Amino acid sequence: MDYAIQQILNALSFGAEYALIALGLAIVFSIMGLVNFAHGEVIAFGGYSMVIVGTLLTRNPFLLMGAVLLACVLVSVLLERVAFRTVRKADLTTGLLTAFGVSIILQNLFLLLGSPRPIPATQFIFLDRTITLGAVQVSSLQIYETLATAVAIGFLLFFLRRTTLGLAMRAAALDFEMVRLCGLRANRVIATAFAVSGLLAGLACIFIMARRGSVLPHMGFDPVLTAFVACVIGGFGSLPGAVLGGFLLGAVEVAVLVLLPQSYGGLAQAVVFALVALILVWRPDGILSPAREKGDKV
Amino acid sequence: MNPSQRRGLLGSALLSLLILLIVGAYYLWGEAWQARILYATFVNLLVVVGLQVFMGNANLTSFSHAAFMGIAAYAAAICVTPVAMKAISLPDAPWGLNAFALSPWTSALIALGITGFLGLLTGLFIARLTGVGVTIVSIAILVIVHSIFLHRTDIFKGNQALFGIPKVLDLPQITALVILAIFGARWFRESRFGLQLRACADDEIGARAMGVNVYRTRLVAWVLGTMFFAVAGIAYAFFLGTISARPFYFNFVFLTVAMLILGGLRSVSGAVFGTLLISIGLETIRWLETGPEILGIQLPQMLGLSGLMLGVVIVGVMAFLPSGLMGNREIEDIIRPKRQETP
Amino acid sequence: MLEIQDLKVTHGPIEAVHGIALTVAEGACVTLLGPNGAGKTSTLSAITGTARSTGLIRLAGTDISRLPVEARAKRGIAISPEGRRIFSNLTVRENLVMGAAGRRDKSAIGSDIRGWFEQFPILGERRDQPAGTLSGGEQQMLAIARALMSRPRILLLDEPSLGLAPQITARIFDIIGDLKRQGITILLVEQNATAAIELSDYVYVLNNGLISSEGPAERYGDGSALMDQITGVHG
Repeated sequence: MDYAIQQILNALSFGAEYALIALGLAIVFSIMGLVNFAHGEVIAFGGYSMVIVGTLLTRNPFLLMGAVLLACVLVSVLLERVAFRTVRKADLTTGLLTAFGVSIILQNLFLLLGSPRPIPATQFIFLDRTITLGAVQVSSLQIYETLATAVAIGFLLFFLRRTTLGLAMRAAALDFEMVRLCGLRANRVIATAFAVSGLLAGLACIFIMARRGSVLPHMGFDPVLTAFVACVIGGFGSLPGAVLGGFLLGAVEVAVLVLLPQSYGGLAQAVVFALVALILVWRPDGILSPAREKGDKV
Repeated sequence: MNPSQRRGLLGSALLSLLILLIVGAYYLWGEAWQARILYATFVNLLVVVGLQVFMGNANLTSFSHAAFMGIAAYAAAICVTPVAMKAISLPDAPWGLNAFALSPWTSALIALGITGFLGLLTGLFIARLTGVGVTIVSIAILVIVHSIFLHRTDIFKGNQALFGIPKVLDLPQITALVILAIFGARWFRESRFGLQLRACADDEIGARAMGVNVYRTRLVAWVLGTMFFAVAGIAYAFFLGTISARPFYFNFVFLTVAMLILGGLRSVSGAVFGTLLISIGLETIRWLETGPEILGIQLPQMLGLSGLMLGVVIVGVMAFLPSGLMGNREIEDIIRPKRQETP
Repeated sequence: MLEIQDLKVTHGPIEAVHGIALTVAEGACVTLLGPNGAGKTSTLSAITGTARSTGLIRLAGTDISRLPVEARAKRGIAISPEGRRIFSNLTVRENLVMGAAGRRDKSAIGSDIRGWFEQFPILGERRDQPAGTLSGGEQQMLAIARALMSRPRILLLDEPSLGLAPQITARIFDIIGDLKRQGITILLVEQNATAAIELSDYVYVLNNGLISSEGPAERYGDGSALMDQITGVHG
C-alpha cells in the first residue's frame, strides 16, 4: 500500500515538473508558433544565477528562490528581444532551428564562463527530506513540487481569465492581428508570454536544483525534450493539453520504472518517445491541428 | 538526358574537382595529422549531402541522421572486428555476436542492409507526415536509438568505446565515396523524383493535383538519405577504429544541420560549401580553444567556443540568410548563369 | 475626421489600390462600394495599418500613416473586420473587454459593457458563453460592440452583412443606422449597395483599385443601378 502511494507521489512529482516546463513551452508556442527549445537553458541560467547570487549576496534560501525566479523571467524576456524577434514572422522550422541555435549558444556560454563540471549549489536541498505520513515515508520535495505546480496552474488560470493581458494572450493564440487591432501592443503581449514562461521555468529550476544540488551547462536540455513530448501529446499550443501531457508522461515514466526490471530504467525515455511517435503517426494532423489553425503571427 | 541533368553532371564534376583540389593540396603540402581532420570533414560531407537529399528536396527538417549513422557504424564494426578482439571488447555480447568476423565488404553490405531496412521501416511512417510532424518523429527516432545504444551496453558499450575495429578505409577511398555521393545527390535532385519532391515542397496540393505520388517520392528520398548516412557511419567506423554512442546524438545533428543550412539546403553545392566552411571555421576555433600563443600573447583556454560559434551560425543564418549562401543555386549557376528560359 | 490622399496599397508584389483619395467628415456615414477584388478591404487594411501602403492617412488632423497597428487603434480607429474575427475561445464579455484593451480609463469599461448588453440583450443573455457559439448575426453585433468598446473616433465596418440571412442583414443595417444617429463616424464597406446607400451621407465606388465615381448618397438614388454594376447583373 505505502509502495503504491509512494509511486503515485513519484508520478505526480515527475508529472508536475514536466507540466511546469511544458506549460512554459506551450504559452510561447500558442502565441507565436515558436517551439522554444532554449527553455531548458533558461532553467540552467536560473541555476547559475543561484550559484552567483548564493556566493556573492545571500545564502538565505527564500531570497535565493526569488532571485532564481527573477533571473529566469529576465533572461526569457531578453532572449525574445535579442534572438526570437527577428524570426517572429518566419515558419515553424526556422523558429525551431533558431531556438536550437540559441540553446547551443547558451549551453556553450555556460561552459565557457562557468565550468564543464557540475558546480555545487545546495541551498535548496533542505526542501528534500523524508517525512513520515502515517505509515508511509515520502519525500517532502515531491509534495512541495506537486502543490507548487497546482498553485502555479491556479495563478495562471486566474491571470488568463481575469486580467486584460491574460485575455489578450488567449485571444492572441487564435488571432494575433485582431488583438493588435484592439490596441494592444504585439511586443507587450509576446514579452508577457515569455515572462510567464520564464517564471514557470524558474519554478521548475528551484525544484530541479533542490534535487540535484548542482548546475551543469546542459542540465535543462533533457527535461525540456520530455516536456516537448508532453506538449505534443497534449496538442501543441493547448495549455490544458500541456498540463495533461506532463502528468501523463510522469505516470508513464514511473510505470516503466515500476513495471520493467530495474535494468531497463534507461529505456524510460525511449518508451516515452516511442509513444509520441506512435501518436503522431496515428493522428498526424489531429494532435498538431491547433498549430495549423493558429492566427497570423505578427 | 535533359538540359538540367546535363547541368547537374557539370555541377557535380565541378564540385568533385574542388574536392580533388583539396585532397591534392593535402598530399602536396599537408601534414600527417591533418589527414584525420580531412577524413572527418569528408564523413560529415557524406552526411550533409545525404541530408540534402531529403531535407533539401522535400523541404522538411529531420534530426534522425545521427541515429542511422550510428546504427550503420555499430553494425559494420561488430561484423568486421576480429573474434579475438571482440572477446575483449564485447565479452558479454548476446546471440553469438562476438563469435564471428566477416570481411569488410560483407560487413559494410550487412550494415547497409540493416540501416536501409530500418530506413524503409521508419520511412513508411515519416512519409505520411508533414511539417513539424516529421521533425518531431525524427527526434523521437534519434532519442530512441540513442537510449538503446546506452542501454544495451553488452552490444554497444554505451558511452564507453567499442574498440579494435580494423582500419579498412583511408583518404583515397573516402574521397571516391564523397565524389560518388555528390554525383548521386545531384542526380537525384535533377531526376523525376527530385523534381516531383521539390514541386511538392513548393505546393503540395498542386503537385498532388498534377498526379504526383507525394508519399512514394518522400519515401524514396528518405530511404536514399539513410543510405548516405549508412555509408558515412561505415566510413567513420572503418577509419577511426573505435566508436561510442556519444557522437551519434544531438551535438552531431546540430553540427551537420548547421552545415546544411549555412550553405543552403535547396542545393547540393550549398551542402558541400556549408560543410567545408564550417569545418575550416571549427578547426580554427578548436585551435583557439586550446589557448594558443598568438604574437606573444598567451590566450586562455576557452572550452565551448566552437559550440558557441556553431550556435551563432545557426541563429545568424536563420535570422539574416534564411535560404543559406547558395539559396536555390548550384555551383554551375554561378560559373555559367542559366540563360533566360523561353516559353 | 479621416482624410486619405493618394493611397496605394500593396500585398507583396501586387498593388491592390492604385492611389485613391477619400474623406470622412465627423459624424458622417461614408460608404465604400465595389465588387469583389476592387480593393475595399485593402483600403481598410491600409487605414488600420495591417497592409503596407503609401500616401497620406490623416486622422483628426494628424498623419497616422507611419504608425503601427496598435498605435492607430489607440488613436481612435476601430474595425469590425471582414469575417468578424471575434475571439471564439473567449466569452462574449471577454471579447468586449478585449475591445477596450487599448483604453486608459479602465473604470468606465464595466459600465460600457453593461450599456452594450442593454443595447443588444441577446449578447447580455449569452455574456458567459464562448463567443464561438453565437449565430452569425450575433457575432456581427459582438464584433461591432467590441470595436466600439474602444470609444473610437471612427468605426470601420467591413461587409457587416456578408453571409447573413436577409432579416438579420436588415437588423444589422438598423443597428448601423442607430449608431449613426448616436453621432458615431462610420466608414462602411459593402457590396449591398441599396441598403448601404440608404443610410449613407456620401458614397465612393471603387473599381479595380481606383475610385470610379463618388458623390452624395442622394445622387445614386436607391442604389439599384449601382447594385447591378457591382454584382454584374444587367436588366
